[in-house]
Amino acid sequence: MKNFMRENGWLLLVISVLLSLFITIGSALMGGNVNPIAAVVGAVTAPIRGGVAAMVSWSDTVKNYVLHYDEMSTDLSELEKEVATLENELRQAEDAIRENEQLRILLGLQAKRQDFVFESARISSRSNSNWESMLTLSKGSRHGVAAGDCVVTETGALVGIVEQVSQSFSIVSTVKNTSFEMGGIIPRTDSAGILEGDFALMSDGKLKFNYLSESTQMVTGDEVITSGLSDLYPSGLVVGRVESVFADPSGMTQYAVIAPEVAFDELIEVFIIKEFDIVE
Amino acid sequence: MTRANLIYKWSVYALALLPIWLLDSEILSFYPLFGVVPILLPLATVAVSVLEGSYAGARFGFAVGLLWATAYPGGHGDRIILLTLVGIFVGILSQYVLSQTFLGYFLCSLGALFARALLQIVIALFVRISSPYIVLELVCIELIWTMCWTPLVYLVFRMAYRRVGGTKLA
Repeated sequence: MKNFMRENGWLLLVISVLLSLFITIGSALMGGNVNPIAAVVGAVTAPIRGGVAAMVSWSDTVKNYVLHYDEMSTDLSELEKEVATLENELRQAEDAIRENEQLRILLGLQAKRQDFVFESARISSRSNSNWESMLTLSKGSRHGVAAGDCVVTETGALVGIVEQVSQSFSIVSTVKNTSFEMGGIIPRTDSAGILEGDFALMSDGKLKFNYLSESTQMVTGDEVITSGLSDLYPSGLVVGRVESVFADPSGMTQYAVIAPEVAFDELIEVFIIKEFDIVE
Repeated sequence: MTRANLIYKWSVYALALLPIWLLDSEILSFYPLFGVVPILLPLATVAVSVLEGSYAGARFGFAVGLLWATAYPGGHGDRIILLTLVGIFVGILSQYVLSQTFLGYFLCSLGALFARALLQIVIALFVRISSPYIVLELVCIELIWTMCWTPLVYLVFRMAYRRVGGTKLA
């Protein structure tokens, strides 16, 4: 102790007292922040501490790997099975969510048209012919579907008309098909005409709104809906929008090219209107 | 050729038809060119008829026609008759007039598609009533676009033929 005090001991004591005072006062003055010395020490030692922690963690991993290899291997295969099950459930959930969304939108249509009785159906195949535009639906006469029933999307946009029915499936002629013919109306102006498929327009995915009187006022974007005048089909189903207007070669009438509201390539599920009230 | 060999042979041809059918119905129908999709099933019938002759071609044509008429909505029975006849005539042509090469296949495909187009023109002009100009335009695009797929279809069936064609299994 004597030697210690003799050989710079006092100096060391003074430095330690000053340093502790500096740290104490510094901490008090910096209010909640780390004192400067601790900050410097922390900064310098941080990489070293990180390295040591990484080494410890790695050695733990190695130890676990060596000691628990069989256990981990079993866990892994179980987890793989669990992931596969979860992925399957996720796919089913995604399907259910999509269907749920469609049904929610359909509820809106059902609220507006309470007379409609719907039957949901999936599209099981599409015609790949350039001469017709048909779809096969997964529901048939067993489910109450009949020829002449209208097929719509969840938003009430007209897809087409059921043309042929078997017990378990039905064939739909889309609004683009050349055999399609139905009364249409522009609600903005109350102008009535005939909606019909056309060869020239089918390849472009459009249809014709024909036999409109010369005085009919139409503009691009006008909505065209079914008129229901024939009593064969329900009224108020959205068919599409006016894209362009032309005068008939005879000069007596005019016709419009209609872009359907339905994106046919994206259709997965549709709704068949099995029953509706005829409005006199 | 034993019954087992015969079954094996036609199973291989059916297997060769599968990718062509899937391409036709599930892929190309979603990507039309100028609004027109190619029709590959008649090309498959022509390929087998050119390679195997009229008898086998007719049988294959009948089966493919049945598939064409039933698997697609709006399929008509005329497709069965059309492809059976295509099988017979293409087989005769390739055996006695043309060669069993890609050139022979190309010419026969052109003829088969032209025959089908004639049928469609008649239906379009007299049954559905449409302007001849529009119908001809559609026929031309369909013919050209379908003919673009002849090398692929021929290649697939040529591979099948090399494995089981003719009397290889006999």
